[in-house]
Amino acid sequence: MSNWDILWSSYDVFLSGFYNTLKLFGLSAVLAFLMGSAMVFLLEGSRPRLKVPLRIFIDGMRMLPFLILAYLLYYGLPSAGIRMSAWTAGIIALVIYHGAYFAEILRGCRATFAQGQVEAAIAQGFSQPQMFMRIILPQLILKTRGLLGNQLIILLKDTAFLVIITVRELTAAASSLSSTYFIPMEAFIVVIGFYWLISIGLELFIKMIGRFGAKRGFENA
Amino acid sequence: MDSSAWGLLIQGAWTTLWISGISIAIGVVMGLLIALLRVAKIPVLHQLLGVYISLARATPLVTLVLFIFLTAPTMGINLNRNVAGIIALTLNTTAFNAEIWRSAFNNFSKEQREAALAIGMTPWVYFRRIMLPQITITSLPGLVNEMSFLIKGSPAIAVIGVVDLTRVTNRISAVTYDPLPPILAAAVLYMLIISLLVWLQRLAERKASRLAV
Amino acid sequence: MPETAAVSIRNLSKSFDGTEVLRDVSLEVQPGEVVSILGSSGSGKSTLLRCINWLEQPDRGDIRIAGDRIGVSDSGKPMSRRELAGMRARLGMVFQGFNLWPHLSVLRNVTEAPIHVQGLSKTEADERAMALLEKVGMADKREQYPYTLSGGQKQRVAIARALAMQPKVMLFDEPTSALDPELVGEVLGVIKDLSKEGYTMVLVTHEMEFARAVSDQVVFLDKGIIIEKSHPSEFFENPKTDRVRRFLELEAPAV
Repeated sequence: MSNWDILWSSYDVFLSGFYNTLKLFGLSAVLAFLMGSAMVFLLEGSRPRLKVPLRIFIDGMRMLPFLILAYLLYYGLPSAGIRMSAWTAGIIALVIYHGAYFAEILRGCRATFAQGQVEAAIAQGFSQPQMFMRIILPQLILKTRGLLGNQLIILLKDTAFLVIITVRELTAAASSLSSTYFIPMEAFIVVIGFYWLISIGLELFIKMIGRFGAKRGFENA
Repeated sequence: MDSSAWGLLIQGAWTTLWISGISIAIGVVMGLLIALLRVAKIPVLHQLLGVYISLARATPLVTLVLFIFLTAPTMGINLNRNVAGIIALTLNTTAFNAEIWRSAFNNFSKEQREAALAIGMTPWVYFRRIMLPQITITSLPGLVNEMSFLIKGSPAIAVIGVVDLTRVTNRISAVTYDPLPPILAAAVLYMLIISLLVWLQRLAERKASRLAV
Repeated sequence: MPETAAVSIRNLSKSFDGTEVLRDVSLEVQPGEVVSILGSSGSGKSTLLRCINWLEQPDRGDIRIAGDRIGVSDSGKPMSRRELAGMRARLGMVFQGFNLWPHLSVLRNVTEAPIHVQGLSKTEADERAMALLEKVGMADKREQYPYTLSGGQKQRVAIARALAMQPKVMLFDEPTSALDPELVGEVLGVIKDLSKEGYTMVLVTHEMEFARAVSDQVVFLDKGIIIEKSHPSEFFENPKTDRVRRFLELEAPAV
């Protein structure tokens, strides 16, 4: 039996790792994006008390390695009496960390936004949340699509760090298969192929948004 | 945390810094070479390098570190953990640096070449004296930014047992039974390192914007 | 007074960083009336217009739209965001810089507020919008996106967008100042048609001939004070003050 045959016989291990990575990625990408958008919304207009704490949080996250945050949640918090599973800690770390990055990307673009459009929406009687959801956010997404896409790929790659805090994702699958059968080369080639595939998928998705934006005259920022 | 814990932490920080430092140094130069090869558009090589860059950018550092460390022995190579870590970080950062250099090349004005050749410079002198200094300045902010990313990705080498600034917190808490203080202390040290790089990046940006005028 | 004024401004004052931009300004606009606010730049005319829908908050004085006070609720407290949004929806505003929303098509720019602020169904809003786009001559461009339009076309869409809320009063803030000279006519034409249909309008403009042709009342602001308020024929042919005479000589070159 060749090494590849051995791998094929345990394709279910790969598939479950792949599925777990996709689940981690999908769930935390959506939540992190919502969190980032919510932070930018909170930075809108007349909430000066929130500005400083949000700024500190966003900059703080951007100065930390992702793994140290995961360590903090999984290994550190139990000594403060907060205990959670590796999976939960992993998701929360991904959401908080990348939420801050998404917030920074959107905030940077918001700062260059033409005020006139906002005034036009105010003059038409839009409420703050409506205006943010319907006028501001769609444009921020169209303008920052390239940066958002890069961030999504970084998020995908950060899911692999969670193998270190024992989450059973894709890299964990390769690692356990290679130690069971001692065929690391083949196992990791398959897994890297999976990551590549998801990345290419993400790039296509961003291109689609790009076409949507180009039709409306939005340059890629 | 007592002084021996701090001592371990500083050792961890040092490991992170020297391993990342070597990878960054090699990565910046290799990135430049790959960018040059790609700008030259040599058939086959161009496509191969393109595939490398695309793969390296899509592969998580943790996965790459494990791949290199576990695969080397099967090919009869005995890799020390630190070397495996350096190779993985270098392969990763080189790909990103190559793209930063390449975009600087692509944005470089063609007129300067004509002006240089017209006054009798050889292409090599033109490259070394005119093009490279300017491209280095315009690339620097991106390169420094990528250095921050590499430091933030460097804890990946913990997965093969290198005791870096992240993994050392496990070692300390194995003795003290309280992981929270060393993790927080490590976080502060990372913030110091990254904020230094962010400051350097701002300096580089100022310099680059002066050149743009 | 037989009718409630469409807009009633009383003793309005406003300063920016200690500089008084408006000083004790009072003005009434009757339903169906077209009022032009003239003045040199820095005279406070745009600020006055922007106070009417509370884009700028005046320091003193009050503004009523069809009898209801804007910005301050009956209890004397500042209006909540929701109350303010409700008042603003009764005023249509057209800006110098068009301010169309670039991610939405022409049609969706016009239907956005009727659907999401007034709660109209999409069909109703589309019908209303198409009628208005027809009126401003932009119906055939309904599927296009703002960046493909000329300035004049953008401004005509912006007018339709403001009209779509069926406002009691239309406010125009230098609607042709950002346009190339050859595009000014098409926008003024649309505004003129609206005046004939009996819309109540307040406009800040530099187009003297136009102001003369459409206005029922001309107001001249100088350093934040209304120094003349009269019928256009009176204003242009027989100005009462030297300040207005000088202004007219500078602004309206002999044809």
